[in-house]
Amino acid sequence: MKVIEIKNVTKTYNESEVHVNAVNGVTLDFKEAEFAAIVGPSGSGKTTLLNLIGGLDNPTSGEIIIDGTNLSGLKSSQLIDFRLRNIGFVFQAYNLIPVLTAKENVEFIMSLQKWSKQESDTRTFELLKAVGLSDRANSRPVKMSGGQQQRIAVARALASRPKFVLADEPTANLDSKSASTLLAIMEKLNHEEKITFIFSTHDARVVKMAHRVITLEDGKVVSDDIRE
Amino acid sequence: MKNSSMIWKTAWKNVWRNKGRSLIVVSSVTIGIFAGVFSIALMNGLIAQRVNDALNEEISYIQVSAQEFRINNDSRLIIRNPEQTVSTIRANEGVFALSERTLITGMANTAFKSTGVQIIGINPAQEEQVFDLCNKIIPGTGDYFGKESRLNLALIGEELAKELNIVRYSVDSVTISRLKERGVPANIVAKLVPLKGLKFTNEHAFIREMKKLFTAGESEKYGALIKKEAWSYREGARFTLTFLDKDNNQVGAVFKLTGLYDVANNMFERATVFVKNDDLKRLTGMPDDAFHQIIIKVSNSDKVNSITDQLAEKLPGLEVMNWKKIQPDLAMMTDMVTQFYLIFGLIILAALAFGIINTMLMVVLERSRELGMLTAIGMNKRKVFSMIMLESVFLSLTGGLAGMILSYFVILITSKTGIDLSQYAEGFGALGYSALIYPRISAGFFVVVTILIIITGVISSIYPARKALKLNPVEAIRTE
Repeated sequence: MKVIEIKNVTKTYNESEVHVNAVNGVTLDFKEAEFAAIVGPSGSGKTTLLNLIGGLDNPTSGEIIIDGTNLSGLKSSQLIDFRLRNIGFVFQAYNLIPVLTAKENVEFIMSLQKWSKQESDTRTFELLKAVGLSDRANSRPVKMSGGQQQRIAVARALASRPKFVLADEPTANLDSKSASTLLAIMEKLNHEEKITFIFSTHDARVVKMAHRVITLEDGKVVSDDIRE
Repeated sequence: MKNSSMIWKTAWKNVWRNKGRSLIVVSSVTIGIFAGVFSIALMNGLIAQRVNDALNEEISYIQVSAQEFRINNDSRLIIRNPEQTVSTIRANEGVFALSERTLITGMANTAFKSTGVQIIGINPAQEEQVFDLCNKIIPGTGDYFGKESRLNLALIGEELAKELNIVRYSVDSVTISRLKERGVPANIVAKLVPLKGLKFTNEHAFIREMKKLFTAGESEKYGALIKKEAWSYREGARFTLTFLDKDNNQVGAVFKLTGLYDVANNMFERATVFVKNDDLKRLTGMPDDAFHQIIIKVSNSDKVNSITDQLAEKLPGLEVMNWKKIQPDLAMMTDMVTQFYLIFGLIILAALAFGIINTMLMVVLERSRELGMLTAIGMNKRKVFSMIMLESVFLSLTGGLAGMILSYFVILITSKTGIDLSQYAEGFGALGYSALIYPRISAGFFVVVTILIIITGVISSIYPARKALKLNPVEAIRTE
């Protein structure tokens, strides 16, 4: 079953009257529970493509359809609500809310979706356990290592059971051990929760673990390698 | 509910993210609110005291007189049918007490000076029910028509006594010990020794000598207190009053001082002499039952307008005026003061608002990555706006509440002890104000201030919150 359909999408930036096609005529599909990596050199359009899929940016042309909904047809406020209910984000710089504890960071998304306290508590406990940080529930991000913060970010991304998670260079700031732990957790959650994960990455370890590797160059898909 | 409680919790924690900066803003709001509330309480106390003094020492709540009497001051314009008028007034609901008065304009004379005065003939027992003057007798100067005398008795103000050179200034051992008791430093008291044994017949001569002994700063700080303690008066001193009788013939009589009164209004003290009705009627040849004016005290000051209207209807041919008409400047001041408070408060809140806007703009700038992330993960604009607005309200309300608590306790203490500005007593007295001010404020005022602070917080958040809403999540997340 297709979760994401990208149809001939182009994103053009106009800088000093020079047109730059950051994404150029990309057509791709992602199915449920995929664990996919988008790779390519710097400036190849990985992050731009991820932003387009996440509804953070609008394509210049083409269509992005997520679970039957064409993102181009949504207003700004509808897009925000769509992201809240369907997409999880993991950022390179973790981007946790520093004044909240690990538990509160995970709960934040659920509170925006007006979950009941009981549901929210159960899900938070489940996710903190899954990322191996139950004992750090009441710690603030500043008291945690980079790897631990990114694991909390993964728990937050999965909190409201999104259809897929977009992770932009999630291991870029992590040491080797932390990166391996994080990837193992994400693969496990992908398997258990049947949630699609799409990474943009330079990291060979991510590429090695990915079930599908899409390579971009100059905004175009140059290879799409599905591994069994 | 949970959604909003998480935003409230996050906003509150965000306020204390940068403790140093928040404490500076909170402190400035605290000081601003304290300054505003306390200044208003001080002004409120000053005006309330002035109105209270005017009502209980000078003009009373309502005055009844013959038509044109107030304008012409013609002693022939007496109240007709005084008995019936008095019983009509007494029967009116809301009237607490009344006093019948005879009013004559004349001259007060001593061997040294003469000055124009308003001579008010009163029945002391009646007058006590309406006016506080009986409680304003300066200790040691006599009493409120308490002693029987074959002579005509008069009660005059301290300022008039000074004007007529009835008072004396001298420094003796009692003066020196009193000054020490009142905290005047020993070196200042020591400078007074050369004046011991000398008597000064007027204030100017005493001040002239003091200027030779003290520096300008010392005179300003201790002069009023030294004058007060060096002041003395010979009980039973006499002076003459001259005025026109009922047939417009000039008459004069010697009056013995029964006491000196001290009220806040120096002009009133300087120009008003109280004598007994019987003495004045005898000297002017007015009939025993004739009066020029009836002053009235009401039970509830809020009903003064309606009681005035009722009496005016029941007493045709007489002029019935309440204090608001008699002293419109005083009435205008009490009416205007609310607007003044509003303008004063708005200026303070506007100044605070700019401080809060500046801080919140810095907050938005510093947290643009985080705010972009919140929009990216699905926090809608309304919630982002609410969070920034709550932070602004929390920031202003924390300082505001601290300022109000501080004001409350300072006002509570000073409303009992009073704020002594006797250094400026002459200036205050010349304007009719007391130099001992008791700040006061209503509980409702604190509620209004709280609401205004919340509104200020909300308004201050609008510009920074709009800035936050304009952040593009893609660019904001990319910001280092």
